[in-house]
Amino acid sequence: MNTPKQSGLMPADSASGTTLHTIVAVMSFLACLTLGAVLMLSRLATEWTDGLSGSVTVQLLPSAQISPDDQMSEALRLVRQWPGIFKARPLDRGEAGKLLEPWLGEGSVLDDLPIPQLIEVTLTPGQQVEIEGLSRALADGVPGAHLDDHQRWNQELAAFAASSEAVGWAVLALIAVATLAIVIFATQAGLQAHREIVEVVHMIGARDIFIATEFQRHFMWLGLRGGFIGLMLAAATLLGSGYFWDAREAPVGAQLLPQFISAPYHYIWLLLVPVAIGLIALGTARLTVLRVLGRMP
Amino acid sequence: MRYGLGPEILRDISFTIDPGSFQLLSGPSGAGKTSLLKLIYLAERPSRGAISMFGRDIAVTPREELPALRRRIGVVFQDFRLLDHLTVFDNVSLPRRVMGEFEHGYRAEVEELLSWVGLGNRLNAKPATLSGGEKQRVAIARAVVAKPELLLADEPTGNVDPDIGGRIMRLFIELNRLGTSVLIATHDQRIMERLPATRIFQLAEGRITTSLTAKDVMASEAKRA
Repeated sequence: MNTPKQSGLMPADSASGTTLHTIVAVMSFLACLTLGAVLMLSRLATEWTDGLSGSVTVQLLPSAQISPDDQMSEALRLVRQWPGIFKARPLDRGEAGKLLEPWLGEGSVLDDLPIPQLIEVTLTPGQQVEIEGLSRALADGVPGAHLDDHQRWNQELAAFAASSEAVGWAVLALIAVATLAIVIFATQAGLQAHREIVEVVHMIGARDIFIATEFQRHFMWLGLRGGFIGLMLAAATLLGSGYFWDAREAPVGAQLLPQFISAPYHYIWLLLVPVAIGLIALGTARLTVLRVLGRMP
Repeated sequence: MRYGLGPEILRDISFTIDPGSFQLLSGPSGAGKTSLLKLIYLAERPSRGAISMFGRDIAVTPREELPALRRRIGVVFQDFRLLDHLTVFDNVSLPRRVMGEFEHGYRAEVEELLSWVGLGNRLNAKPATLSGGEKQRVAIARAVVAKPELLLADEPTGNVDPDIGGRIMRLFIELNRLGTSVLIATHDQRIMERLPATRIFQLAEGRITTSLTAKDVMASEAKRA
């Protein structure tokens, strides 16, 4: 004789269970993507606001006081000895021309223009660099040298990122409310579908808490399962698109994806999405069941 | 008693079920037998009047104390009300489970009880695969597994052949001998023939008209015929 296995009071799966799993998985997928975007924007906004975007540019305008070669070597010497500078690399004329190409087009016109010489300066990550001091030192020490820390551009980007982040949080809140409503609706439908179970167990002498515990467990697992399916799909989407854009020349925006993917702590936040959905399901199922049972004698 | 704003289904009913007693509740279909049983197993509350049970006035007993009273009552529902997704074993052990007991505590007892009702080899079967008589016996096993002080059965022999009906009645009589009060709602003549000295409450149009023995009821019906 086989050993009988004690099963849950709620049927393990039903047609409504499949539909619910799908809906919860989709909500979780959307929540994960939104949260991912919010986290990424939040990080970028912080970086841009703090001016820690990692690079500055030195422009060397033609000057009568100094030859271009001396101007370049003097500027490089000054920049490279400045604390916190990781790398300083002069851009050759071809590279500088490429930067202007979108405005001036290809062709020989560039050869005739006095294009300023450029030095791309990479800052040591995580180190505070005295940019203003460097700017003054360059202005004082090298005629025609000017340091561009992308401040204006950074501030505009930061403002954009902050407002996008706010929109992201609002979307996330909407998804949470929708999930809540779906679970309430599903619990009530589940109660209706399993009314026989509830009544029989109630008549047998089960306390409301016993029945509520069975229901909330059922819905918590449903929430967790659906939530994790959504998380997996979202992670696959993020990783997949990161990989996709990595393999191509990424447009602005998609370049940010690798940053997200390379931040493992973001995934810890994303892991909280299915957990939160599970808890929302647990809480709403419990309250709904207790309310319905309260109307029984 | 009435359902919602509907007509009064039961009225002017007064009777007591003595501890350890055995009685039948008889009457035509629609007389209110099931409604009366519902009042007794606390599935409904009376719209007026008083019900005292195990020394408690039901009207003033707080809702949260009713489960403890329900656990002292075993019910065999007319339509069995087995949970289709649970096995025979799980259905029968349900009352013990809701009391907070763990499987190792009741496992042997449930298996023994199921053997006693002839279902020892159907522990893992689902209700859908059982015959009417088997379902009935599962329902009865579930009603008695927690050793109730009062057993209520609604037409327990309605769906089974006379042989099984006889076995079920013997089971009830045995439980009664062990101290359980039994109230069976039935209009099955065979039960009355089997238990000639049993007290019968006769219900008609929502009132208890007579409180006689089965023998008297059969005699008066024979006279009427």
